[in-house]
Amino acid sequence: MSFARNSYLHRRLAGLLALMLALMLALLFSPPARAATPRDQLVIGMNMNNLLSIDPAGATGNDVLGVVANLYDYLVELDPRDLARVKPALAESWAFGDDRRSLTLTLRQGVRFQSGRPLTAEDAAWSLHRVLKLNLAMASPWKSYGFSAANAPRMIRALDARTLRIDFPEPTDPKMVLYTLATSVSAAILDRQAVLAHERNGDLGAAWLLTHAAGSGPFSLAEWRAKDAMLLDRFNGYWRGPARLRRVVMRHVPESLSLRFMITRGDVDLAAGMAGPDIEALKHDASVVVQPVLRGTSYYVALSMKNPRFADRRVRLALRSLIDYDGINKAIMPNYGVAHQRPVMIGLAAALPDPGYRLDVPRARRLLAEAGYPQGFRTTIRVLSDPPLINIATSLQATLALAGIEAEILSGTGNQVYGAMRDRKFDIVVGRGGGGVEPHPHANLRALVYNPDNSDAARLTNFQGWRTGFHSPAINRLIEEAVREPDEARQNAMYREVQQLYDSEVGAIQPIAQMQETVVLSKRVHGYVGHPSATTHLRDVYKD
Amino acid sequence: MSTPSATSLVTSSSSSFATLWARVYSQRARLLSTLVTLFGLLALTFFVGRVMPIDPVLSIVGPDADASTYQQVAVQLGLDQPLWVQFGRYLNELAHGNLGTSLLTGNAVSADIARVFPATLELATFAIVLGTLAGVPLGVLAASHRGRWQDNAVRVLSLAGYSTPVFWFGMMGLLVFYAWLGWAGGSGRIDLEFDGVLPPVTGLMLVDSALAGNWQAFGNSVRHLMLPAGILGLHSMAYISRMTRSFMLAQLSQEYILTARVKGLPESRVIWGHAFRNIRVQLLTIVALAYGGLLEGAVLIETVFAWPGFGQYLTNSMLLGDMSAVMGCVLVVGIIFVGLNLLSDLLYQVFDPRMH
Repeated sequence: MSFARNSYLHRRLAGLLALMLALMLALLFSPPARAATPRDQLVIGMNMNNLLSIDPAGATGNDVLGVVANLYDYLVELDPRDLARVKPALAESWAFGDDRRSLTLTLRQGVRFQSGRPLTAEDAAWSLHRVLKLNLAMASPWKSYGFSAANAPRMIRALDARTLRIDFPEPTDPKMVLYTLATSVSAAILDRQAVLAHERNGDLGAAWLLTHAAGSGPFSLAEWRAKDAMLLDRFNGYWRGPARLRRVVMRHVPESLSLRFMITRGDVDLAAGMAGPDIEALKHDASVVVQPVLRGTSYYVALSMKNPRFADRRVRLALRSLIDYDGINKAIMPNYGVAHQRPVMIGLAAALPDPGYRLDVPRARRLLAEAGYPQGFRTTIRVLSDPPLINIATSLQATLALAGIEAEILSGTGNQVYGAMRDRKFDIVVGRGGGGVEPHPHANLRALVYNPDNSDAARLTNFQGWRTGFHSPAINRLIEEAVREPDEARQNAMYREVQQLYDSEVGAIQPIAQMQETVVLSKRVHGYVGHPSATTHLRDVYKD
Repeated sequence: MSTPSATSLVTSSSSSFATLWARVYSQRARLLSTLVTLFGLLALTFFVGRVMPIDPVLSIVGPDADASTYQQVAVQLGLDQPLWVQFGRYLNELAHGNLGTSLLTGNAVSADIARVFPATLELATFAIVLGTLAGVPLGVLAASHRGRWQDNAVRVLSLAGYSTPVFWFGMMGLLVFYAWLGWAGGSGRIDLEFDGVLPPVTGLMLVDSALAGNWQAFGNSVRHLMLPAGILGLHSMAYISRMTRSFMLAQLSQEYILTARVKGLPESRVIWGHAFRNIRVQLLTIVALAYGGLLEGAVLIETVFAWPGFGQYLTNSMLLGDMSAVMGCVLVVGIIFVGLNLLSDLLYQVFDPRMH
């Protein structure tokens, strides 16, 4: 009996092993997997971990800008090749008030939402009111112009079905507002009725819009499986005419090397967010094109002036001399950024050339000795664990050590790094930020330098100037005056003066490089122009 | 045949009643202990999660939000309430069968888990089947050839399988079998052309494609599955073969084995019919634990292969402070282990004659 059972066991085991062998042989000798994406579909491989919400009122991060720009329409757009050029979109024309305190936009006729409803100025006004009423993340730019939930109905009005008037609560540069309308996720125009049909407990559709869309853009959201895939289908009733692609598929590929294999095999048409070394390797691949796009954001080293050591100008100057700008930009930053040491982004008329800071250890040692730290001190560097930030932090740790500063690297998630920065509980942060979505010096300076109230109670957490505790009344005043200055030449001169003052006062945030986003495209893809404001339009993209 | 006396009838009836009661009582005790364990697990996860320096509000509003937005969202999430109130609310929702809403995906946590768990179930099941089918015979082979080249070869293989990071295996596997040779399907569960084509019934690609009669999709999903499952299977094989070897060596040194050999039984029968039969129960526990570990999520393999599974979901939720999702996952993991324990117990009764 036992012997019979054993033979049976042996036979079963042999059978299973034979089956496994057969499967392996079948795999070995079967033809390779299909490796060409369909001609009418664009497959984008990217890390979708930061794609959390697509609600224009609350969505944060760069990735969502690219999604929203294709699901919705904006009133105006910026030319990706010349950011100063504002192009008509839903608004076919616009005019500023004589006193620079208002903007009137005339919407084009015949535009329909994906639901089939006509798009009107009421929808546009309601979309902006909604952002302010919900007061989520994307209300920030509007609040910085003085808008609020209370004044929005008075200040943002539909004069008729085609005319939208925006009155500015505070004097500002109307160009800034126009740029915000062109680039901020919050400026996407929503189908009011479709959204309100999904309203729950007066949330203005916020819960529904986290994962759904109600726009008039060239693509509609067909399916979104969070951290897996997002499928956008062509909207045939699009007012500019249907997009050339039938479908756009975004696939979550968190690992850069996997993405590199996929684009070389032809399983994705566009790879975004790859690591620098993988992009570098692909530059020699004839089947792909590497397309860098300069963004307005900076990679920087931020010091907390709440820490008495860094409140000392000499210590900040010493640290400025302990960054290996050249080494970092040559060894770490290719495909991530280009060398830049000023808070105002490259390419703007007001931008000054780099001041030429460089690694100078003897000078740093001398300054530290003058400040009373001849032997250096111990400190911490907070940084995201992703490249290139962690690599910059490692370089900084090494160069600080040359002057006796022993820095411990505390790496973590964005939540842990920027959370500590928002609470002003850090010594040094190696980070990325600084506005720059709107191509205007004010956008950079507001994010990195401006700090109208340095008290802890003010909790101006959206200003990185406040987070570092850098407070210069002279610079604040100049920033406030410059944005109101109607004469462009004078305005630019004021912004240059701000940069010079920031240099002489030794600001707490030292930019190292300006962000560059590099995408890798299959040569089959045509018409893709990456947008510096991340609002890349896919409506004209097509494939061989 | 003797007639039972009244006393013996009463005794017999009271004895079976006592046995029945003991069984019910024992199951009740087990159920209670399971519930207490799950409650403890949830409480621990909740309170540890809340003291960790991860701020769910910041994950939602982003690093550049101003203080008023931050405060408003914190209140909306109920994070301004004391911890015990927040936990009480969670338990209340749970008692009504609601795992809550993921703060970050906006979906019901139960729907999210129902979407990601089948992906991991499919991967883990294949991996454990491969690992067991290869690991057990190799372990037996090593033990029965102790100190000889077969033993050394298995030792090297299992050491390599166990100590080499699955991440590295994944990368190398993709490079060789996907990028160079084109045999494997690469990242994801299925090719783009089949994405959204299969009606989701079970969430298991193989089953759904078979149910739909779409054999092209079935073959494609096998291609995508083989490499990650093979790598995880290799890892499991290494563990299972080491344990099998160790259990077998313990049995092969017993006197009853010596007796069997003295009796002149063939070696194959000594090994499979005597020694192996006695390690089946221990092996079951090992395999069940390894399976549980895989179901909990092989996050590295899921990351390398962009496999939208449970491990990635849990890890991302933890990193973003999405506590509803984390708690839901912890509950599922707890239930998996309880279930696997129960299954092992049931199988013990099949394989171990003493349990009859």
